[in-house]
Amino acid sequence: MNIADSERVSSVLEGMGYERTDNEEDATLLGILACSVRQKPIDKVYNKIAQWNRWKNKRNLITFVSGCLLPADKEKFLKTFDLIFPMSELGQFPDMIREYGVVTPAALKTRQPIMPKNEHIAAMWHIKPKYQSTYEAFVPIQNGCDKFCTFCAVPYTRGREVSRPSSEILDEIRHLVNQGYKSITLLGQNVNSYGLDKNGEEITFSQLLREIGEYGKSSEHEFWVYFTSPHPQDMNREVIEVIAVYDCLAKQIHLPMQSGDERVLIKMNRRHSMDKYRRIVADIRELIPQATLFTDIIVGFTGEGEPEFMNTVSAYEEFKFNMAYIAMYSPRPGAASFRWEDEVTSDDKKERLRRLSDVLKICSHEYNETLLGKTLRVLINGTDRKTGFSTGLTEGKIIVRIDRHDESLMGKIVDVKITSAANLSLSGEVV
Amino acid sequence: MSLMKPDMQMDVSFYKVEEIRHLTDETFSLKLPRARFAFKAGQHISLGIVGGNQSREYSIYSGENDENLELLIKEVDNGYFTPRLRKLKAGSMVEVHGPFGKFGMEPELAANGKFVFIASGTGIAPFRSIVHTYPGIDYRIIHGVRYSKEAYDREEYANDRYTLCTSRDKGGDYNGRLTGYLKTCKFDPETHFDLCGNSNMIFDALEILKDKGFERDQIHCEVYF
Repeated sequence: MNIADSERVSSVLEGMGYERTDNEEDATLLGILACSVRQKPIDKVYNKIAQWNRWKNKRNLITFVSGCLLPADKEKFLKTFDLIFPMSELGQFPDMIREYGVVTPAALKTRQPIMPKNEHIAAMWHIKPKYQSTYEAFVPIQNGCDKFCTFCAVPYTRGREVSRPSSEILDEIRHLVNQGYKSITLLGQNVNSYGLDKNGEEITFSQLLREIGEYGKSSEHEFWVYFTSPHPQDMNREVIEVIAVYDCLAKQIHLPMQSGDERVLIKMNRRHSMDKYRRIVADIRELIPQATLFTDIIVGFTGEGEPEFMNTVSAYEEFKFNMAYIAMYSPRPGAASFRWEDEVTSDDKKERLRRLSDVLKICSHEYNETLLGKTLRVLINGTDRKTGFSTGLTEGKIIVRIDRHDESLMGKIVDVKITSAANLSLSGEVV
Repeated sequence: MSLMKPDMQMDVSFYKVEEIRHLTDETFSLKLPRARFAFKAGQHISLGIVGGNQSREYSIYSGENDENLELLIKEVDNGYFTPRLRKLKAGSMVEVHGPFGKFGMEPELAANGKFVFIASGTGIAPFRSIVHTYPGIDYRIIHGVRYSKEAYDREEYANDRYTLCTSRDKGGDYNGRLTGYLKTCKFDPETHFDLCGNSNMIFDALEILKDKGFERDQIHCEVYF
C-alpha cells in the first residue's frame, strides 16, 4: 500500500515540476509515507524527522508525512513535520506547498520575476477598519519600499513594494463616499509607485486616480481625494493631467524633495535630479495652477555643508512650497547612512531648521495673501485651541479659522470668505 | 483533514552559494544559482546571510542570461557585514531579495546607442552585467580604481573599449583619478552616460559632463553607499 501511495505522491510531485533525487541531502522536499502496523517503522520515522530538522538549520527544506498514522503519532508529527495530511487529501498537496510560499520548479522556468508573497499585508488590508472620523478617512493602497534612500530604514522594516488590488481600493472609496466622507487620503510608502510591482497585471497610479475621478464625477457627493507619500522618481505628467480633470481629486500635491542640493540628493540615493523635480513642479504649475505644494525636507544630512543647505533654501524659494515637514537629520538604525559619520552638529541642524522654517513662513504668507477676499470651500474639522472657534482646511489643506464655533458644521464643506491671512493660516467668515 | 503548522514558511529568497571567486585580497564575487531569478541588467539586489539580521544592496555582476547570478563585493575595513560575506563558503546560505532599481539599459537603445560607462571600484558591476547581456552594444568603460589589480575581469572587455585609471599606482592606462581623465575626453554629442560608484565621483563626473555640454537627461547615475 505504501508503494502504491508513493507512486501517487510521485505523480503529484512530478506534475508540480519536482524531480526525484536519490540523495536526501540534495532534496528540498522530503516526505514519508508511514506505516503504523508495527512500532519499528514508526520509530524510523521519528529518527528520520529528527535528522531532517537538524538539516533545516542549514538549508531550505520542507518535510511532509502521510500514509498510515495513529492519532498519538499524528499529534507528535504535527510538532515536527511541516505538513501532515491523509492520502485522501493528496489532490490538495500542491496548494499546501504553495501556501508555504514555495513556487514550484515548474514555475521557476518562467522568466517572471519572483517576489515573496506578502500574505500579512493582504490579510491586513482585508480587515475592516474602525474609522476614527465620520468625514476623514485614510485608505492604504500600497505598502513597502524598494527605493533604499540612504537615510531611511523603511525598506528593511516594511519590506518590498506591494500594491493592493484596485478593486478593493475602489470598493472602499465608494463605501466611504456613500457614508458621507469628505476627505479621503490614499496611503503608501511610495503611493505613486502603485501598480509597478504587478508587472502589468494591475492598473497604474494615474489609472487608479482616473477611476476614482470617474466615480466622483458620477456620484452626487462632494469629496476630496489626496495621496501621500509619493516619490519624485515615479511621478509623471500623466498623474498631474488626471488630477486636473476631476474635481474630486484634490488640488494639493505633497512631493517630498528632501534636499535642494544635487550632491546631497546623490548621497541620499534619491534617484532623481533637481532637474526632474523642477519639471514635475513646472507640470503642476502649468496644469493645476491653483494647487498647493507641500514637501518634506531633511536638514543636516551627512555631507550637507552651508553651501548645500543654501541650495535647499534657494530651491524652497524657487518652488514656493505652501507647507514643508522639515526634519533634522537623525541617523536611523538599519538605514545605510547609519554607518556614516553624522558630522553636522545638533546646533547647526537646529539653526538650519529655524532658517528654513522662516523661509516657509514667508512663502506661505505670500501665497495666503493672494486668497484675501476670495470665497473658498472649506472642510470644517476642528476647533482652535485659543479662540474656541471652528477651524477647517481648504481643498489645498490651508488651515482656515472661521468667525465662530459651530458644532453643526463639523465634517461639512462650507463656503468661507477669507478675511485675513497669517503665515501658515487664514481666517474667514462662513458665507 | 490537513494539519499544517501555520508558522512554518519556506523562503523562496534563500540561495546556496555555489562559488566564491577571489579577484583581489579584498574583492570577491559570489556565484549563486540563477535559475529562479529574472532581472534586468543594471539592477541590484538586497543580500543577507541566512540567520543574520542585516543586509546590503549589491548590483548584479552577471548578465541576464549568464548561468549564475553573480555579485561583486569588496570587503570593507572594520566593516560588519562584508567580512562575514568573505567567510562564506560554497554551500553557505544567503538571502536575496529583488531585483530593484531602474538603472540599466533599454533594449531598444542598446541596439543603436553609444554609451560611456563610468565606474569607480566595484561600481563596474552593473556595466559588466550590461555588456554580458548586450554583446553587440557600442560602449566604452572608464574605470577608476586605486591600484591596477582592481581592474576586475578586465580581460572580458576589448582593449579599445576599457580605460583603467589608477590613482595610486602606474599600472593603468591613465595615472590619476578618472575625473582627471574624463576632462581630457571628447565624446559624441549623442552619447549616453551611465555612472556608478561613490557619490563624490558621481557628482564630480556629473559636473564635468555638464561642463562639456551634455544634458542631465543623457546621464544616469547609480550611487554606491
